[in-house]
Amino acid sequence: MPLPPKLQEIVDDFASMTREEKIETLVAYSESLPSIPDRLKDQRDKMDDVPECMTPVCLLGEKQPDGSIEFFFEIPPQSPTVRGLAAILGNGLNGLKPEEILSVPGDFFLPMNLQDTISQQRINGFMGVLAHMKQTVVKLLGDDLNNFLR
Amino acid sequence: MSYVHPEYLVETDWVAEHLNDPEVRIIESDEDPLLYAVGHIPGAVQVDWFSTLQHPLRRDFLTKEKFEEVASNLGITNDTTVVFYGDKSNWFACYALWLFQYYGHQNVRIMNGGRAKWEKESRPLVKEVASYEKTTYRAKEADKDIRAFRDDVLKQSTGKKPLVDVRSPKEYSGELISMPNYPQEGATRGGHIPGAVSIPWAQAVNDADSTFKTPDELRALYEGKGIKPDEEVIAYCRIGERSSLTWFVLKYLLGYPKVKNYDGSWTEWGNLVDAPIER
Repeated sequence: MPLPPKLQEIVDDFASMTREEKIETLVAYSESLPSIPDRLKDQRDKMDDVPECMTPVCLLGEKQPDGSIEFFFEIPPQSPTVRGLAAILGNGLNGLKPEEILSVPGDFFLPMNLQDTISQQRINGFMGVLAHMKQTVVKLLGDDLNNFLR
Repeated sequence: MSYVHPEYLVETDWVAEHLNDPEVRIIESDEDPLLYAVGHIPGAVQVDWFSTLQHPLRRDFLTKEKFEEVASNLGITNDTTVVFYGDKSNWFACYALWLFQYYGHQNVRIMNGGRAKWEKESRPLVKEVASYEKTTYRAKEADKDIRAFRDDVLKQSTGKKPLVDVRSPKEYSGELISMPNYPQEGATRGGHIPGAVSIPWAQAVNDADSTFKTPDELRALYEGKGIKPDEEVIAYCRIGERSSLTWFVLKYLLGYPKVKNYDGSWTEWGNLVDAPIER
């Protein structure tokens, strides 16, 4: 199954960047990470912590009327790398159907060549965020999951 | 009582007054490598523990020749006063300082409180990447007196000499093999080096502003656990970054004459065939 088009675009962009361009782009993503909308603020304490991440990462998924999923993150500004990586996943996966999100392979990032820019620990954290987004999708599906699997 | 070598520590005020001092080079060294790009002290340059300071192939630091090249590109001469600061209470600032000392750069300082204190005091941060004219830099041969290798550590352990484990209590007990909230990987076994005492690194700094605790508090902390200046001490953590902060505290703030940082740390020891482990 091919990657969702927006995510594929991001992967392709990174694949052709120098290390400096990757840093610049990650900073821009980090700065673009939207905060949680006011209407969801009361759900803040229901947000999932992502224990694989070195910084406190909170994640909230919301099922839209058309069945697609929107993700929201709360990550401190002192951790721009984690914010940037989360924003990439948000940009690449927001508004997609559950099955599209669940089908993203855990190693989709390999062509981005991030290992020249960030340490393996951080790449693992990045994968932890994706894994939690998938878990969130599974939780949101609830009873629908059985239909979905059928 | 004051710190034994207070000259290795500068305050944010001092840094603010030396931003344009040609004899001083300010270096940011962070856990999060993007922070420099987000904003840094005006005129500061960056070293990244991972992409700048490691050997590209082996598990080791960059070679002496590469180190000379890095220092030269940062506009550092053998006489430059190099001031390090960073995030996470200066973990990686201490790591970079330790490595500069390893290659013989004597004139080094830590900015007390690091990035967090500078930000808290609403001091300026800029995005412009500073660049300086290349210098000719000559490094010294690596100073093995401040770096412990696995054989040194084994001797230290079997000789019942002081070892300080600066990881979190759960890493020390073997319940976790990495920091809480970090990926649980890097070592196949959990626990600690036999005989090591647990003094988590963070006990040396104040929560409120990331500055180092007072000399009396530090002395009570380490001596209270039997870590005294009369014997050689080896500190370790997971990869040697948190323990370089402890190394800095013991060596310069408390003036212990013989302190080594074991950068192989738990990611080496916990994978080493036949290495003794205590839980």
